[in-house]
Amino acid sequence: MNTFTSLITLLIFPAGLSLVLVGMFYEWVDRKLVARFQNRVGPRWFQPFADALKLFAKEQIRPAIVNPYLFFGLPVAALAGALTAALYVPLMGLSPASSFPGDLIVTIYLLSLPTMCVGLAGWNTSGRFSLIGATRTLTQLFAYEAPFLLAMLGPALVAGSWQINTINRFTQDHWLILTQPVGFIVALIGLMGKLELPPFDAPEAETEIVAGALTEYSGRGLAMFKISRSVELIIGLSLVSSFYLGGLNGIPSFLFKSLALLLVMSVLQVLLTRLRIDQTVGLWWRFGAILVLAQLLVMILWKGLAL
Amino acid sequence: MNIEQLLAQAEQLLAPWNKETIHPESNRLDVVIIADDLRAAVNALHDAHWGYLSAITGLDLGPASAQMEALYHFCSGLAITSLRVRLPHDNASLPSIADILPPASFFEREMQEMLGFKFSGLNISERLFLPDDWPEDVYPMRANFTLDQAAPVAGRHADELPEQGVVGGNTFVIPIGPQHPALKEPGHFEFTVDGEIVTAARMRLGYAHRGIEKAAESRNWIQNLYLFERVCGICSHTHALAYSLGVEKLAQVEAPPRAQAIRELVAGLERVHSHLLWLGVAAHEAGFDTLFMYSWRDRETVMNLLEQITGNRVNYSANLLGGVKCDIGPEQAKAIKEGLNYLETRIRHYLEVVTTDVMFLNRTRGIGTISYDEAVKFGLLGPTARASGLVRDVRVEAPYGAYTHFPVSAVTETNGDLEARCEVRLKELLVSCFTMRTIVDNLPEGPLTVRMPRKIPAGETVSRIEAPRGELFYFIKSNGGETPARVHIRTPSLCNWVSVLEKAVGRQLADIPMLIAGMDPCFSCNDRVVTLKRPGSNENWSWKQLREYGIEYYKR
Repeated sequence: MNTFTSLITLLIFPAGLSLVLVGMFYEWVDRKLVARFQNRVGPRWFQPFADALKLFAKEQIRPAIVNPYLFFGLPVAALAGALTAALYVPLMGLSPASSFPGDLIVTIYLLSLPTMCVGLAGWNTSGRFSLIGATRTLTQLFAYEAPFLLAMLGPALVAGSWQINTINRFTQDHWLILTQPVGFIVALIGLMGKLELPPFDAPEAETEIVAGALTEYSGRGLAMFKISRSVELIIGLSLVSSFYLGGLNGIPSFLFKSLALLLVMSVLQVLLTRLRIDQTVGLWWRFGAILVLAQLLVMILWKGLAL
Repeated sequence: MNIEQLLAQAEQLLAPWNKETIHPESNRLDVVIIADDLRAAVNALHDAHWGYLSAITGLDLGPASAQMEALYHFCSGLAITSLRVRLPHDNASLPSIADILPPASFFEREMQEMLGFKFSGLNISERLFLPDDWPEDVYPMRANFTLDQAAPVAGRHADELPEQGVVGGNTFVIPIGPQHPALKEPGHFEFTVDGEIVTAARMRLGYAHRGIEKAAESRNWIQNLYLFERVCGICSHTHALAYSLGVEKLAQVEAPPRAQAIRELVAGLERVHSHLLWLGVAAHEAGFDTLFMYSWRDRETVMNLLEQITGNRVNYSANLLGGVKCDIGPEQAKAIKEGLNYLETRIRHYLEVVTTDVMFLNRTRGIGTISYDEAVKFGLLGPTARASGLVRDVRVEAPYGAYTHFPVSAVTETNGDLEARCEVRLKELLVSCFTMRTIVDNLPEGPLTVRMPRKIPAGETVSRIEAPRGELFYFIKSNGGETPARVHIRTPSLCNWVSVLEKAVGRQLADIPMLIAGMDPCFSCNDRVVTLKRPGSNENWSWKQLREYGIEYYKR
């Protein structure tokens, strides 16, 4: 019976299938919001599902010179990484499927896995657009990763735990957006960087390098990369809203908080012009990292003095 | 200086090499020289800062004389001085002047491919316009050219791209186009990048050559009006206008004032539509899609106005030889004014966006800067030149048509970067809106057309007008028949390319789409001149077949 429930948890709800579906739904919300802000009609609600279905039904074309194991394995690894990360996060406001001290670090590294896979995939296909795209993907990873991690450590420090579930319980009484506004902003922008949303879409800037690292991907591979990104979106939104927006304690609070965050992200996407890759790196290391470090320092001092 | 003084000065400058002086029209001076003196003569005009090189026209004088003629047109205000060099077919060799005047390289390459001139010192043998499987020594603009000479060379592809990929180390060649999301138009660029920095650039055009200049020689004067309108889908009116003005000049007919005013009005609306379209594209290249969507939404207003006035959205066909087709009634006048009011508020808003939005400025301010001196050197035209402080605006320098009655002022900026180019274009629209309102309020009464003869008297004329992208140059030659002997078109985009290729080197790859878009390139402008047999297909489509195919296609 226990195995059965675990299987349900892993494959159907809240992880697995329903996570993928919710991810696609959020992707639609994002696309629709952006479209409406830009004075367009936008896609219908089933568009992401239809896209995924279509991609899965299509032939996956493999370039002649790639390593086939990597070429077919990387999308799977990316999706697996994203889905595994979901286990430690209070998805849909329910308690995580699995939890252990230090799972925050594991989750953040698992969340980087899809990005690493995209970078490797670009390197493996060795097309010119893919190579430039891969370089930019990885460059961007190094730009936002550390500030994002530091922004996630802020709540962990005040909660006194590196376990997501514990932090989530702690933040339910503490709206950390009020005490750590810098951390919140860095986390939110970092999430946009992770998801390569505008203005951080230089790695897939279509006017320069077509689709970046994924230019040569089609069919199933592309679908899996896309789904892993939707899953990442949900996990990222859950993490940020759980850490900074008063925790998640049920489906309504999850929907409300994450959709509010998504709205903010859509507005930012609409308002901002794409940054060049050097500008992205500059922004993160000159401002993001320094600000969040300063905040961490203040918190450590505060904690040290209070004790 | 007035026209006479300018021409007298030019004549004096060119006196040492002058073999014969011709005054074809009151504002033109033709000086016949020999090929060996060409560089000295060009240098003399260049050193004295007498105007700028506007175009080089190649003429085939026909198989009977077995001679060709190259015409170097220099323009200064209304005055035009042309250096004429006559050469035999079998030895049409000229010294290149591309090192003195960089834009000449594109003109020379066009003549090299289309007419078989040889330019010593040009040192560019790769093709710009013609496909790579076009046979050697077959020149489509020669008088004796026939289609069956154009059979593709076996074993070659139309597009022999050097697929280099990784050149070595971190150096790649990034191809942009002919199919690429950055350019929805068929041009091919190769940027060699070292990491993110561009170290070399080359380009290739001609993917959509339609043989318009050649086709014009077999159509009558009226058919050609509609043919030239199809040179470009964005500035179709300006092409038809330049052609009509030229033909009217040859026939010594002047369109009535009301027609002239309506022509200027349509040209103004077209400029609004073209610049808003450009703004959208530029914003998209920079990754600011919101501005793209909004400017294109507002562009619909002006498209609807054009449709309301002329009945068409793209090829308006407002012009007739000797006048215009459509009148502005009270209803249209009201619609135009309302539309202009709305557009003006929007344009002011966009002007604010492009000058204050920090993120957008990140991608435009200080990027692709062209100084005044460089603008002169590269021979830039239109808004691209005006953004560098160089006043190149035919409407102001050499007013034509109704621009003498409804003048516009030239808008200039001094920075010469992409931001300045955005600003110039938008401010120019505000000026256009103002002038258009004046025209609507003060439309002269009178007929819309005058009678045109069917045969146009023999002669040559130059017709220059300001298209949205810069000076559009038409050279029209008539032998007195029902068809033109030669129409040479020099579009503004061709002159502005030099600046892109020069400025790309040393920049980041991410800036390149913006750089290309910054001069508002128009590929249909560039591609005009060829019909070709494709490999795998054994037929050339005749005009009749094409027409029938078109009718069949649209029946469905």
